[in-house]
Amino acid sequence: MKDTVNLTVNGVRYSVACEKSESLLDILRDRLGLFGAKEGCGYGECGSCTVILDGEAVTACTMRDKERIDGSEIMTIEGLADNEGNLHPLQEAFVESGAVQCGFCTPGFIMRLYALFDKNPNASANEIREAMSKNLCRCTGYEALWEAALLYQKRMLGEKDGCARK
Amino acid sequence: MAFDYIGKDFTRTDAYAKVTGTARFIADLSFPGTLHAQVLRPPHAHARIRSITTTKAEESKGVRRVVTGLGCDILFGACGLLDQSPLAREKVRHAGEPVAVVIADSINNARKALKKIEVEYEPLKVLLDPVESALNRDVLIHERLGNYKHLSSYYPEPGTNVFHHYRLRKGDIHKGFKEADVTVKADFEMPLSAHSALEPHGVVCRWQGKEKVEIWSSSQGPFLLQGVIADMFGLPHANVRVHVPYVGGAFGGKSDVTIEPMIAYAARFVPGHAVRYICSRKEVMTSTVLGRGMKGSATLGATKEGRFTAFRAELYFAGGAFGDTVTNIVTVAGHNSVGPYAIDNCRVDAFGVYTNSPPVGAYRGYGHPEGCLMSERLVDMMARKLNMSPLELRRKNFLCEGKTNSLGETIRDHNGNLFKCLDHVEREIFSNPKPAEDDRYLYGRGVASMMKSPKGATNAGSCCQIKFCEDGSVHLNLGGVDMGQGAQQAMRQIAAEALKMPLEKISVYSEIDTQHSPWEWQTVASMFTWRGGNAVIKTAYKAIEILKKNASMVLQADVETLGYNGEFIFLKTDPDVKVAVRELVRGYMYKGGLTVGEVAEASASDRLPRYVEPDPRFGMGNAGGTWTFGCQGCALKIEKKTGKVIIDKFVSSFDVGRVISPQMIRGQIVGGVVMGIGQTLKEKIDFSGDGKITNANWKKYRLPTIKDMPGKQVVICVETPEARGPFGARCIAEHPMVAVSPTILNAIYDATGREFFKTPVTPEELLGVMDK
Repeated sequence: MKDTVNLTVNGVRYSVACEKSESLLDILRDRLGLFGAKEGCGYGECGSCTVILDGEAVTACTMRDKERIDGSEIMTIEGLADNEGNLHPLQEAFVESGAVQCGFCTPGFIMRLYALFDKNPNASANEIREAMSKNLCRCTGYEALWEAALLYQKRMLGEKDGCARK
Repeated sequence: MAFDYIGKDFTRTDAYAKVTGTARFIADLSFPGTLHAQVLRPPHAHARIRSITTTKAEESKGVRRVVTGLGCDILFGACGLLDQSPLAREKVRHAGEPVAVVIADSINNARKALKKIEVEYEPLKVLLDPVESALNRDVLIHERLGNYKHLSSYYPEPGTNVFHHYRLRKGDIHKGFKEADVTVKADFEMPLSAHSALEPHGVVCRWQGKEKVEIWSSSQGPFLLQGVIADMFGLPHANVRVHVPYVGGAFGGKSDVTIEPMIAYAARFVPGHAVRYICSRKEVMTSTVLGRGMKGSATLGATKEGRFTAFRAELYFAGGAFGDTVTNIVTVAGHNSVGPYAIDNCRVDAFGVYTNSPPVGAYRGYGHPEGCLMSERLVDMMARKLNMSPLELRRKNFLCEGKTNSLGETIRDHNGNLFKCLDHVEREIFSNPKPAEDDRYLYGRGVASMMKSPKGATNAGSCCQIKFCEDGSVHLNLGGVDMGQGAQQAMRQIAAEALKMPLEKISVYSEIDTQHSPWEWQTVASMFTWRGGNAVIKTAYKAIEILKKNASMVLQADVETLGYNGEFIFLKTDPDVKVAVRELVRGYMYKGGLTVGEVAEASASDRLPRYVEPDPRFGMGNAGGTWTFGCQGCALKIEKKTGKVIIDKFVSSFDVGRVISPQMIRGQIVGGVVMGIGQTLKEKIDFSGDGKITNANWKKYRLPTIKDMPGKQVVICVETPEARGPFGARCIAEHPMVAVSPTILNAIYDATGREFFKTPVTPEELLGVMDK
């Protein structure tokens, strides 16, 4: 039995026939060829598959609710840089802070933080830490990831206050 | 010496691909006509296989082939002990071993067919404890150990479960203990743990007939893999082509070989198809390799003045079902357990023992964290017995110029300076008095010192190729795998420095293909920056020589009269007489088209000098090759109510020789420390009595999260240039994890007055001792 789900991914509308057992991660990777979200564990513990579903960060590997997926707006790591390939400031903060080592957890962390700051630009240190604790990284010891999050927030808030510094 | 590209931070060459999700890892590759493999694992950790019936599975929907080990007489080994077959034959030796591979048109159909395979087992006694297994002569995990081919540096004991015995006999141990006024002794344990790279292991294998195969793998050792697979089938190595895309972390768990022989064996039954197999997280933990697994005891003797006179240790490694990838760990743990101290009399016996658990493989620092736990806890105990500062006691015994290490190698100044490292740690941790115990917390501070040598094939080498494009830009090609450590970027910066060229003009390789990449033994043992970096420098100089030769014809001057500045070859005595590099790269073309000279492409290699296996009788020799020394320290508090350990500050100081990139080296060190914190306070593979892993998932096997970060990490790199390192750089990658456990356990003693000799130390255990 196949379900048909309609969804918008990074602004592009798709209609996908998929098996009941398929997760959103399977749909993104196997049906749509979007390989940015990664499977590290398959049960939502590592966060490498984190994408944004209607504004919420979700682990795509555990998202099997077709009713929730149907009609949803999904954003993945592939949708973050602009059409010219210029990096989003959050991606830039990751690069500058040295938050990228093996890169496998990177898309998940970026999407987790994007969702957080999109909703709550003034997120407190505790809120940022809480959000980031839902993702695992084995390379960085989290320090550079943490710095990337703070750097991005600082710049974003700076720009909002009209005192952006280059 | 002033540098333009060394010691500075630049944007990593792989950063853009990784932050945009366009970096392709093994599971992101797709191939036409792909078939999917799934693997049957046994319900027993040790059992004889009575029969396997695959008829029903073969008839299952979508199934192309069901492959078992019946009739397979292949034995392989990646390191030097050929004790493993691609699929279980006759018996299973651990509960994660492959019994059958189903190849089908989809993962789901392959999984459904697995359930239809019927296997009859006769369960055998399960051995998990390495000491028990070493002593047990009635239950043998490998009955034919005596028949296995192995390198002469491996010492199996047929008729037992001991597949390797490393002996260190330095000086006279009896004399050493006679000279000692004080001795300290303890039993130690560091359990099996999981590397837990975020990316699961994966492999794709496509045979062209039965003689040629192409493999894509998440491997740290593509060339080693090439050789192992070719030898399994008696093929020329050149018939096996291995590709390695981006690798999502490895930490040793993707070195040597793991899942590839099984899939290569199975895929050979369906030539022409790409057979794809990506491990589930559970399979990574049950069916690739684990790390550590040491039980042992050690004794240290010292005079009342604090001079160490004798060190004795016995280490038993629960090597798992196969010993091939464990043997080097056993050896290196043996001679490093002594610690970074000059001790004249040492006697160490390290045993690699078969157990009914997944095989142990290299895991960040392999052998060193296990040995370091022993030496560094004993040194602290000794300091207390001697009523001496643990720092002073270390300083009295540190290896330094003219002293000999456990292997009998003479340490020179250029090998690094432990005193400076310890001074930094002392200043950072002990400058202020320790906070007094309060209602909520106990406070403790601790230090530990470490040394690490590489251990691998004695002919381990790195090669580099440099070729120029027509515009003078450069392709830099090596075979070292970047699994996140920044290998590509480090090579790029070293090449920029050696070629005196802006980084932007140097395009560095991004994936490995054994057909096109220069040879690299394996990217392990923290050796790549050192060895690959040397290869880059040598290659750059060769390439510059070609440019100079070409220019000598054009400028009508001898080569030795010419200089090079990255942009021009010029006459040293008159720099205005010059010719641009880009005009020389394909030879020099005169007006009219006449061309002279060579194409500027060069290659060169590097390896450790005079690197040998330890002597069979004494376990000594030039088996370290190069060393990195360091010290770590921490200030922590323990919450009385919960037993939770909170690390307020963790300091690492290593003598790294030369920093290539401050940001990347800090990333390596702080990452290694957090991994070490996981090892010390959280991580342990648990087994049921019958040998099944009960926490083979990240819900139960808890990795450190961002909440486990120390309050502050301080990293201080000492830079005593190494005589043979690239621009003086020394190995640093695994090292940050080596001394973390004794550092924390020493601090826990300081806080609680309780000795811990076993990791992990959990809040429950701490609550237990604090109540007393």
